[in-house]
Amino acid sequence: MIAFQNVSKYYEHQGVLKNITFSVQKGEMAFLTGPSGAGKSTLLKLMYLAEWPDEGDIVIEDFHLQSLKPPEIPLLRRSIGVVFQDFKLINNLTVFDNVAMALRIKGVGEKEIKNLVSVALKKVHLRHLSDSYPRSLSGGEQQRVVIARAIVTEPLVLLADEPTGNLDPNTSIDIIKLFEEINLQGTTILIATHNRELFRNTGRRVLKLDGGNLVGEEVG
Amino acid sequence: MTLAYSFKSAFQSLCREKWINILSMLTVASSLLIITLTAFFLYNVELVASHLPDRFSLVAYLNDNISQEEIQGIVDTLKRRDDIAALKYISKDDAIKELKQTLKDTRYILEGLNENPLSSSIEIRLKRDFVTSASAKRISEEIKKVSGIDDVYYGEKVAEAIYLLKKSLQNMSIIIFITISTGVVFVAYSTVKILFYRRKEEIEIIKLLGATKGFIRMPFLIEGGTIGFFGGILGIIGALLFYLAITYRLSMVIPMLKTLVFPLEILILLPITGIALGIVGSVIAIGRLKL
Ligand SMILES: Nc1ncnc2c1ncn2[C@@H]1O[C@H](COP(=O)(O)OP(=O)(O)OP(=O)(O)O)[C@@H](O)[C@H]1O
Ligand SMILES: [Mg+2]
Repeated sequence: MIAFQNVSKYYEHQGVLKNITFSVQKGEMAFLTGPSGAGKSTLLKLMYLAEWPDEGDIVIEDFHLQSLKPPEIPLLRRSIGVVFQDFKLINNLTVFDNVAMALRIKGVGEKEIKNLVSVALKKVHLRHLSDSYPRSLSGGEQQRVVIARAIVTEPLVLLADEPTGNLDPNTSIDIIKLFEEINLQGTTILIATHNRELFRNTGRRVLKLDGGNLVGEEVG
Repeated sequence: MTLAYSFKSAFQSLCREKWINILSMLTVASSLLIITLTAFFLYNVELVASHLPDRFSLVAYLNDNISQEEIQGIVDTLKRRDDIAALKYISKDDAIKELKQTLKDTRYILEGLNENPLSSSIEIRLKRDFVTSASAKRISEEIKKVSGIDDVYYGEKVAEAIYLLKKSLQNMSIIIFITISTGVVFVAYSTVKILFYRRKEEIEIIKLLGATKGFIRMPFLIEGGTIGFFGGILGIIGALLFYLAITYRLSMVIPMLKTLVFPLEILILLPITGIALGIVGSVIAIGRLKL
């Protein structure tokens, strides 16, 4: 479950998010759209605390971010899978180790890691690139590594920031199908994108952001 | 699980930056070697000093061929003095035994002596109130007049000098120890700082993936500890080479070196000290992490 209550965020006194209130139910899959610079990435960053909200309260599952104690920050982040818009892959680790990192951080044993990582890489059709380094991959391949890393921990909440930005239409459809599958297992998903094709005819809720304001909601 | 990964990650990082690390290990090794040699030097000075009379004692050497009754007479005379705290009679046989004991390995120095060249003596311990230079001198002159006493050895000056030497050596060792330890911490600090900055981006990423401070720190603590550990091991090798050099090579030229004692047990402290100082350096290098 995700709930924003009157949340605002400023960068140098400039309001980037203004008085945002919305919620996404547990097990729901929703979209967040809006023009470039609308504040989509910023809104997602507030949830995994890459940035801190200046006003308002955010609740993610059982975590109330306003009263979160420092030792709980890693726990919050581990229960959220993030597909970063700028990937954030570690260049001196292989594809396998990049995906495995999310599990190592959680203290999962190496044997289990082997299985889980290869299952995740298979889901994004990248098993053959397991030993490659991120720099040698195409943009689309790198993006799929990031997706594999986000889903390998089976997080309670999955946040995807422009997850198909570097993918061709067919691969994009594959990825959305993958998200649908994961959603069926109970994961709450929020996908930020300006690609309207992604949510067309999905029947999912679409939150519309513009200039830092939540300007409405539609059904895709 | 996580610890195994931390070790793996630390060693990968150590291999990637191998020249920086080898250089640091050598620096740590030579620093620890200096500490060891200082300790060795101090240890030997202490050893020598412990065989010398302390500041409160005089030794009265008796005439040769003195009879048992005469000795008793002298002891009684001395006992009546109110400035003497204790007496100890040492026969010439006891004296040679003790000398042999002290020389242990270099007993050959005494070979060829048919006759015991030492005198019987009485060790005199003065009461504390009489240990000023002047009164010790006066007392020793008075005792010299007692018949049957050949000479009085009055070790005040030597003992005083040895004592001062010992004290200043101790102080110097402490200063050397602190300076060099700080140096080792600094070497570990700067090396780990470099490794830390090289992985800054990676650290920012794993923070967002939910890494705890411990998970982030551990590989760097292991790296610092490892540099200290191998520094210590290299230090042991250096110290052993030094030991072999003085016992086998130099002592042929300067036999006196044979009497030096080298407590090899202390070498085990080198890797432990190295690890401890290395970890301290790493902790300072990482500083306060912000998640
Ligand atoms: N660290 C920052 N410092 C100052 N301004 C920032 C910072 N991060 C974002 N901004 C500003 O906040 C606004 C929203 O940025 P954000 O990245 O959330 O937009 P977005 O909706 O994700 O855009 P895009 O679709 O291009 O990814 C932009 O005007 C941006 O310039
Ligand atoms: Mg964005």
